[in-house]
Amino acid sequence: MLMGDDKTPDMCKMLDKALRLGAEYADARFQNYDYELVTVENKQLKSYSSRRLGGVGIRAIIKGAVGYASTSDLSPVSLEKILNTAVKIAKSIKTEETAFTHLKPNKANTKLDVKIDPANVSPEEKVAVALDSNKAAWVGDEIKNALTWLGIARDRRAFVSTESAEVNVETSLVGLLHMSVAKVGDVMESTMYWQSKCAGFEFINSIDTNTFTPDISKLAIHTAQSKTCPAGTFPVVVEPEVMGVILHEAFGHASEADFIVTNSSVLTSKLGTQVASEAVTLIDEGLVEGGYYYPYDDEGTKKEKTVVVEKGVLKNYLHDIHSAQQLDAEPTGNGRAQDFENTPMVRQSNFYMQPGDFTVEELIEDIDFGIYVGEKGLKGGEVDPGNGTFTFGVGPSRAIRNCELAETFRGVVLSGSILDTLKTVDAVGKDLKVTTEVFGVCGKSGQAVFVGQGGPHVRIRKMTVGGR
Amino acid sequence: MIRMMLTELAVKRMMHLGATEAETYMRKTRATRVNFAEKIGNFKTSETMGMTLRAVFGRRVAMYSTSILDESEVNDVAAKVVRIAKASPEDPNWKHLNRKFGSAPATGYFDAEVKNLETEQIVESLNSAIAHVKDFDKRVKPALSSLSAFSSNVSVSNSYNEGGEREETSVLVSLQVKAEENASVSNAGEFRGAKFWKQINLERLAETASEKAIRFLNAKSLPSRKTSVVIRNQVFANMLGLMLGEPVNAESVQSGRSLLIGKLGTRIASEKVTVVDDGLMQFGWNTRPFDDEGHPSQRTLVVDEGVLRNYLYDAYTSLKDGVESTGNCHRRDYWIRPQPSPSNFVLQPGDATPEELVRDVQDGIYVEETIGDWLSDPISGNLNATIAQGYLIENGESAQSVKGMVLSANFHELIKNQIDLIGNDLKNNMQYYSPSIRIKDLTIAGQN
Repeated sequence: MLMGDDKTPDMCKMLDKALRLGAEYADARFQNYDYELVTVENKQLKSYSSRRLGGVGIRAIIKGAVGYASTSDLSPVSLEKILNTAVKIAKSIKTEETAFTHLKPNKANTKLDVKIDPANVSPEEKVAVALDSNKAAWVGDEIKNALTWLGIARDRRAFVSTESAEVNVETSLVGLLHMSVAKVGDVMESTMYWQSKCAGFEFINSIDTNTFTPDISKLAIHTAQSKTCPAGTFPVVVEPEVMGVILHEAFGHASEADFIVTNSSVLTSKLGTQVASEAVTLIDEGLVEGGYYYPYDDEGTKKEKTVVVEKGVLKNYLHDIHSAQQLDAEPTGNGRAQDFENTPMVRQSNFYMQPGDFTVEELIEDIDFGIYVGEKGLKGGEVDPGNGTFTFGVGPSRAIRNCELAETFRGVVLSGSILDTLKTVDAVGKDLKVTTEVFGVCGKSGQAVFVGQGGPHVRIRKMTVGGR
Repeated sequence: MIRMMLTELAVKRMMHLGATEAETYMRKTRATRVNFAEKIGNFKTSETMGMTLRAVFGRRVAMYSTSILDESEVNDVAAKVVRIAKASPEDPNWKHLNRKFGSAPATGYFDAEVKNLETEQIVESLNSAIAHVKDFDKRVKPALSSLSAFSSNVSVSNSYNEGGEREETSVLVSLQVKAEENASVSNAGEFRGAKFWKQINLERLAETASEKAIRFLNAKSLPSRKTSVVIRNQVFANMLGLMLGEPVNAESVQSGRSLLIGKLGTRIASEKVTVVDDGLMQFGWNTRPFDDEGHPSQRTLVVDEGVLRNYLYDAYTSLKDGVESTGNCHRRDYWIRPQPSPSNFVLQPGDATPEELVRDVQDGIYVEETIGDWLSDPISGNLNATIAQGYLIENGESAQSVKGMVLSANFHELIKNQIDLIGNDLKNNMQYYSPSIRIKDLTIAGQN
C-alpha cells in the first residue's frame, strides 16, 4: 500500500477493528521523513547530521471526542496497542458532539517532480557546496563569522481512513542558508538570508555561490556601519517576502478557524465585513509556483484555492474537518500535522496577496518620510491572534526621504494590529513572489510545519516601527 | 535493559566498521497533550523514540539519527554514518569525545506521578479549571489552551564509557482566557512549566488568567515615549536567556559571533546583576545529573556582581579552549546536534517586592506580556519586543492598559546602565529564571 516498504502493515484492517471497538470514524497517517543538514562555519565543516523519522499515528472519533496515539514501532503488537489507546482516550472524554460529518475522502497518489534526487547526491558533493559558499563569504576583515547551512528534506505521507480515503503525497524541499557577522567599531551585526524551494538538488546547483554569500557579507558590513531606526508610526513600502510574513502573521493565523471556535481570534464574527482596504485580496492555495508543495492535507482533503479576503471583505476562514463541522462550513484542506506523532489542526498552506498594478517607483514616490523594508535578513514574526497584535523582524531597511530611498537602518522591528494595518494598504505592486523554506517553519501549539507565503511590493500607510 | 543494549551495540558496530571513536545518544519520550477551550478538544499520547549515532574517523565526524529502534536499523545507520564520516573533511580542532562520565547530586527532575498520569485524571483537572474560569466572572470564557506532560528516558554511551541513563519528567500548561465587555475584547494567559504534577495549580492559573483578561480590556497603543519600564519576571527571563545565554555560550564565543569575546574578568553589567547557571537546582527545568554527552552537571557562576566569570562549555568547546567542561551539553531533541546551552539560567533576585517596583514610578509602563522577543538579535545586542499586554503607571498606580507598542534597547547597555531595581519574585520561563525588574530610559514606539 505505502512506500513499497515491507514493514508496512495492512492498515485498513486495523482501522476496521477501531470501528468494532466503538469508534464512529478512524484514520491512520504514515510518514517517512528524511532530513539532512550540513553546517559549515568559518570555512570548516561543523556538522553533518542526517535524520530519518518514520511511524504511524491513529485517530479515533467517538461522539466527536478525538483520541490519538502514535508509534515509530510498526510491529503488529505495537500497532494494536496504539489503536486501543486511541479508542480508550476517545471514550474517556465525555462529549455530546456528533461524529465527523464533513469528511471529503479522496484517492490520490501525488509526487513532486524533481530532476536530481538529493538522495543520489554524494555526501562529498553536499559538503563541497556548503564549504565553497562559506569560503566565498569572507569578503573583508570586518567579517567575524560565516555560517552556512545546506538543508534537504524529503517527506512522504500516506493517509487512510474508514471512509475509504487513500492519499499518498511525496515532496522534496532543499535550500542553502547563510549568515555573516560583521563588526565595525563596537557594532556587531548579523545578516541572514536563504534560497530554498520544493525541488531536487538541481535547485542548489542553480544558486550562484560566487555572489550569494558575498552579497550577504557586504550587506552585513553595510548594516554594521548604519544607524538604528527612529521609533514611531510611519508609512512603509515592503518587499514581497516581507509582505508574506506580514500576511501570515497579521492575517493568516487569525483566519484559522480553530482560533475562531475557541474564542481566540479577533476575526470572530467578521465574515462579510470590511477587514482590509479594497486593494487587498488574500488567497490560501496548495499549489503555487515557489510555494510549499501541498496538494492534500493530513485529513485527505484536497487543498484548493481559498479566497480568504476579497477586495477587503472577509470571505472565508481556513478549516480542517473538525472546525468546518463546528461552524458548518466546507473543509478547505487546511488540516495539517507536524508529523505522525501529532494530530492535524488548522494551518495555512501558501498564503499570499494578489498583485495590483503599481510599480515599485510609484509606491515610493509620494512618501515624505517612511521606511523601505527589505527582505534580505528577514527574521520572521509572531502574532497574538486574540488581541490582534502582530510583530515581525526584518533585516537592514532603507529610509524613504522626500520620495527617494535614503540611508540604511539596522535592527528594525515592526508591529501592527490585525484589524487596522491592512486597512491602511493604499497601493499594491504588480509583481508577485511566493517562497517557502527548508530552514524555517511556522509554529503553533507546539507543532512546526513548512509553509509558503508572499505577495507583491505593497505600501502600508501606518506601521509601528521599533527604534531608539 | 534492552535500550542500553542497543546503544552499546551501535557503538560497537561503528567501531567494528572502522570508526576511531563512537557515541550513541538515545531518547524516548512519552508525551500527552490536550487542547481545550470551553471543552476538551483533542487528546493525544505519543511515544517518540530515537537515537543519534556519532561516528569519528580520526578528525572526521558525522551524525545520523533514526526514529526506528531495532538491530537491523542500527546496523544500517552505523554503516551510513561511518561512510559519511570518512567522506567528510577533517576538523583540525577535533580532540576526542567526552571522557568524563558520572552523576552529580541533582534532585527534583523526575516525578512518578507525571509519568503515570491517567487520561481521566487530566480530564478531571482540566474540566475543573474550565469550570473555574466560567464561574469567575461573566465577562470571561476559556480560550484555546493546552496541557502537556512529558516523561523521558535518556541514555548516552560512547567508546570510552558505557555511560548512563536518566529519567525525567515535565509538565507545560498554557491557560488562555478571553474577556469581553461592550465592544472590547481581551485575551490573556498564564504559562507554567514544572517538573512535578503537584507544582501545577490549574485553578490558580485559571483565576490569574481571568483577572488579567479583564485587567487588559480596552488596551490601546499610545504615543512613542522614553520612560521607566517594569518588566514582569517571566518576560524578562526570556529576554535574559536569549540575549545573555547566547553570548556566554562557548560556541558563540569561539566562532566569533559573541560580543563577550575576551570579556572574562571584566564588567559587563551593573553590580546588581549576578547570573548563575545551575544544573543542579532542585525542581529546575533543566536539572539533571549529567548532560547530553554524559558529563556530570554542575553549578557555574556566569556573572558575579556585574563581572563576567565563565562561559558555558560542552566537551568539544572545552577541549578547544583547554578548560574543564561545565556540563552544558544540550540536545534540544535527540536528532539535533549537541551544543552548549544554559541549563537553569538564573538572574539572582533582589529585595524589591512587585509592589515596590511600581510604587515609586511617576510615569512609566508595566509590561505584562510581549510577543516577538525572539526577533531580538543576541549577536548585535538589539533587544526588541512588542507589548501584547501592559499598562501605564501614573504616580505609582496602574492606569490605562496598552498594547501594540514596541520596546527597543541595546541589551548590553541595558544590563550595564539601565537596570534600576531588581525584584524578589523569581519565576521561570522554561530554563530561564528571573525576578521582575525595573529599567529606566527605555524607548517605546507607538502611535504618532
